[in-house]
Amino acid sequence: MDALLIDASLLQQMLIGALLGISVYLPLRCGQLSLATPGFYAIGGTLAALLSTRVDALGGAEPVYPLSSVLLEMLLAAALAGGLAVGIGRVVLRLRGVYLAIATIALVEILRVTTLNQESLGGAVGIFGIPQPFLDPQGYALFTLIALALVCWLCDRLERQRLGRAMEAIRDDELAAACQGIDTDRTKLVAFVLSAVVAAITGVISAHFLNSWNARLGNFDASITTLAFVVFGGSRTWAGPVIGGLTLTALPELLRPIGDLRLIVFGLVILVGPLLLPQGLITPERLRLIRGLLHRGAKP
Amino acid sequence: MSSGTASAAAAPLLETRNLGVRFGGLQALEGVDLAVQAGEIFGLLGPNGAGKTTLFNLISGVTPAGSGAVLWRGGAIHGLDPNRIARLGIARTFQNLRLFQSLSCRDNVLVGLHRQARLPWPDALLGTPRARRHHHHLQEQAQGLLELLEIGPLGDQPAAGLSYGDRRRLEIARALANAPQLLLLDEPAAGMNPTEKEELRHLIRRLRDRFDLTVLIIEHHVPLMLGLCDRLAVLNFGRRIALGTPDAVRNDPAVIEAYLGGQA
Repeated sequence: MDALLIDASLLQQMLIGALLGISVYLPLRCGQLSLATPGFYAIGGTLAALLSTRVDALGGAEPVYPLSSVLLEMLLAAALAGGLAVGIGRVVLRLRGVYLAIATIALVEILRVTTLNQESLGGAVGIFGIPQPFLDPQGYALFTLIALALVCWLCDRLERQRLGRAMEAIRDDELAAACQGIDTDRTKLVAFVLSAVVAAITGVISAHFLNSWNARLGNFDASITTLAFVVFGGSRTWAGPVIGGLTLTALPELLRPIGDLRLIVFGLVILVGPLLLPQGLITPERLRLIRGLLHRGAKP
Repeated sequence: MSSGTASAAAAPLLETRNLGVRFGGLQALEGVDLAVQAGEIFGLLGPNGAGKTTLFNLISGVTPAGSGAVLWRGGAIHGLDPNRIARLGIARTFQNLRLFQSLSCRDNVLVGLHRQARLPWPDALLGTPRARRHHHHLQEQAQGLLELLEIGPLGDQPAAGLSYGDRRRLEIARALANAPQLLLLDEPAAGMNPTEKEELRHLIRRLRDRFDLTVLIIEHHVPLMLGLCDRLAVLNFGRRIALGTPDAVRNDPAVIEAYLGGQA
């Protein structure tokens, strides 16, 4: 594959995919199949679109939208989504397995239909002319890369800590985890809130990059696509959803030269991936193996 | 002021009063009164389906009690969540082994150390020297427990790949990591050969002395139990049919009948 096929604009979308993959991964680390990620992504995007187009004080009229305003939007989106996730999580996290998935799909749909029918949130038309903090895709890609690196670093820290271990323990055996003194409800809620926060800040970045925002950006299709990132990449360590999000976002574009066949190839990858690699592409064991090889390679 | 035995003077560490639970049409436990004194090794004997594991589930909060009470140091604990009960100092193992399969042996024990692994989040986030020391300390503690159970070299192996006996040992190591005062062992000798069972008997004694534990143990192997326990209770069809020292229980007509049948 020619690396030149990936331009800054596609790279930006890939990085967004990686961030959304991490958002799906966090609850999955404690065995919670939540498909709410696009819902919180939409909350972040809608909030950014509204604030930047309607609140003049943020600097929407300036030729280049101030970065500080974007950061402020991210902060507000994180707070809004996080707060909402606490409320919703307390209720829906009582459900398990596929029932939790169904409830979170319902949440995504409720948000979508509400936005669609609420003129003040953009309605069916959407919100246009979202001011641009960067003048070219390279700027966006760099900004998103920094955000992704930060989120990955936090996930890496998390996985080595008490909380990260507790999440894994809950995924393996919730009852046994509770018997080790782990507050399982609270741990699952924390994971759900972190997932919502990551999705919401991703939505803020996306809204500015896309220049317009509408209700269709956070729909059921997005739930399944983001889930595919994690299923393909692996759900046991943060590197899985990152690799999954990057590749599966790039693949349809990279396969464009083969025309409509690309849809078949894409479908095959999603189908065959989990069959051949049930745990996903990246697992902690494979990562250790790679690290070992790199160390051996570096020594002689 | 009751006319009980001498040990009745001290308040029991764990007590069940008239404890019962019903699963549909099955009365799994009925009217069980037990009082476990601090420092005791207390055995639960009984045929399959007698309600021994159900009793463990009620004590550890895994199953809600239907009737009666569970008292810990005199305070009621039935109705609390399992994680609250674990944090009070009651740890358990599982008869059908519930290890964290995808985690390494060391990580299994580290999860058991959950309660002691708390670290202020700025330290945890930034990986300060304090966080590193804390991390090392936890790793050493985990390794120490693995070695105590003689599975020290297996630290990095996934729990799913262990032999049956080693899984039982890992369950005990994980339970000890909870730093309990009361340890509930559910058939720790199942699947072990006679030599291993003998070793286990010594191990449980050693653990009791070293960690100042009180042990409540379920086991089918009667000679092991008679040699290990200070006192025993025998359950049959959800009721306590005998209680006392190994000698007293061994000669109890109700126990003989339960194990050998009425006509024996």
